[in-house]
Amino acid sequence: MQHVIVFVEHKAGHTRKVTFEMATEARTIADALGGKAHAVALGTGAAAIAEQLKAYPLDTIHVSEDTDVDKFLLDPTVDYMEAVAKSTGSALIIVPNTMLGRDVGGRLMARLDAGFNADVTDMKVEGGRLSITAPKLGGAFITTKAFKNCDFGIVTLRPNAFAAKAGGAGAQVVQIEKPAGKSYAMVVESEVEEASAEMGLEEAPVVVSGGRGLGGPEPFTTMLKPLADALGGTVGATRAAADAGWVPYSLQIGQTGKTVSPQLYIAIGISGAIQHKVGMRTAGTIVAINKDGTVPIGEFADLLVVGDLFKIIPELTKLIEAAKAAHA
Amino acid sequence: MKIVVTVKLVPDPNAEKRMDTATKRLVRTGVDTVINPYDEYAIEAALQLKEKLGGDTTVTVFSMVPETGKETVRKALAMGADDALMLSDAGLEGSDVWGTAYVMAQGLKKVGFDLVICGGLSDDGSSGGVPGALAEYLGVPGLTNARHVEVADGKLKCQRETDNGYQVVSGPLPAVVSVTMAVGEPRYPSLKGIMGAKKKTITVMPLSELGLDRPVGNDGAKTELLQFAPPPVRAKAHVVNAEDGPSGAKAIFDFLKEKKLV
Repeated sequence: MQHVIVFVEHKAGHTRKVTFEMATEARTIADALGGKAHAVALGTGAAAIAEQLKAYPLDTIHVSEDTDVDKFLLDPTVDYMEAVAKSTGSALIIVPNTMLGRDVGGRLMARLDAGFNADVTDMKVEGGRLSITAPKLGGAFITTKAFKNCDFGIVTLRPNAFAAKAGGAGAQVVQIEKPAGKSYAMVVESEVEEASAEMGLEEAPVVVSGGRGLGGPEPFTTMLKPLADALGGTVGATRAAADAGWVPYSLQIGQTGKTVSPQLYIAIGISGAIQHKVGMRTAGTIVAINKDGTVPIGEFADLLVVGDLFKIIPELTKLIEAAKAAHA
Repeated sequence: MKIVVTVKLVPDPNAEKRMDTATKRLVRTGVDTVINPYDEYAIEAALQLKEKLGGDTTVTVFSMVPETGKETVRKALAMGADDALMLSDAGLEGSDVWGTAYVMAQGLKKVGFDLVICGGLSDDGSSGGVPGALAEYLGVPGLTNARHVEVADGKLKCQRETDNGYQVVSGPLPAVVSVTMAVGEPRYPSLKGIMGAKKKTITVMPLSELGLDRPVGNDGAKTELLQFAPPPVRAKAHVVNAEDGPSGAKAIFDFLKEKKLV
């Protein structure tokens, strides 16, 4: 493996922080392997993304604004990625560890008979060989792996685990030719937005999460959301809260939900059972608020405040807002 | 219509897992092997479709698993699937994500299908890459993260989850679909289901029946494990008893300030 290729996930030219984390990491790994750092942006808005990516240390940004990428599910995307990979030669392909990233990665694995490592939190090159660190079994173990018997390796990168650093610019933007002789079967007929396109839960620097202790849907909007806004973060929830219909499943953290690694995780009215723990145990700092001082979350949180969350949260939001106002 | 559900067996996700530091393997004592929770939703989605479509629709469970997993696979039959096929072979040990997807695809070709339904992820590996790879190796359309699956006039129509809503996606059969937990809570096996499952057929197929043209299992794997370590241990929380709202809030605020998080 010599080169690195980044798959850019975006929606009509809007992308997430993980894209820049991937671009930064691509440079580091490409330099260590003695290869080039590429990125691929596809579909409507790809050119706008390429402009943004020029601020990052890539060699080549491959672009196609082909609308088939938006009209058909995944197949055109994978065709383009395959074409870039084959013209580049032996490479590490980096995709984000998101629903779309895992899809693209899995399909490319089959196209390229590639090795695959998911949810990667660290990479190193030692003696010319890439080693990859990823938590497995819900973070119960940390594995270090390497690729073998393959020209291409695919990693899905966990958002928030790598630094994004602009600089070293000068990337060349090139148009990709449409792969010939393809027809597509899975049609995207329509797109329905149910929630506002807020910050992605997986890459929010701060997650304010609520559980059964909130007692209903209202506190999520009246208390957790203002606190998350004050901290520059977003709202998450436990499965119990999602099962009760208080929040959509897209906010669920833990087993069968999302895995997050924010700098700060505030667990409100959450006991910290293993099903939830596996989705947030790698957060930088964990603060818990609970009326019960014996909850399991006390075993691994940094701070556990035992008290009435309904009284504490509004006061905390006020304190943070006041501190922000004093700084502004 | 023939529906095939892929089922993986994993260590019980509800059990705390420990590593044996000497052998660097998972301590299996006290940890049951269960159906991957995500796959239970795939079984549920398949059974719902069968109920809706009626007629000669069948649900077959397909699992790449050692023979010792037979009784766990039977649980899927107790839920209502018609029969099961296990691909069991010592030569599959050490399979990585690539090997799993490749071998499963060859097995599915052999089984035949109109629709393959998968869970969205596996609880132990969490790669999420297998459903898409199956579609590729099988050369059929693939659709992932469906929260609603409909088949009408030989066509597939699904709601596919996105980060802030869903897409309506349609395509032809045969196809591979992966589902999310929004398809509905997996049913519990009824007593009748459990009794009935004892009479249902579980076929065990060795690797040799697939006539593979490349090495799989440990020999064919494209990744290798270099190290296996427990996660960094988190210390117990510093506990503060808050007498009222303001004192609780202040304790948190001071802590965040000390950590430079505000």
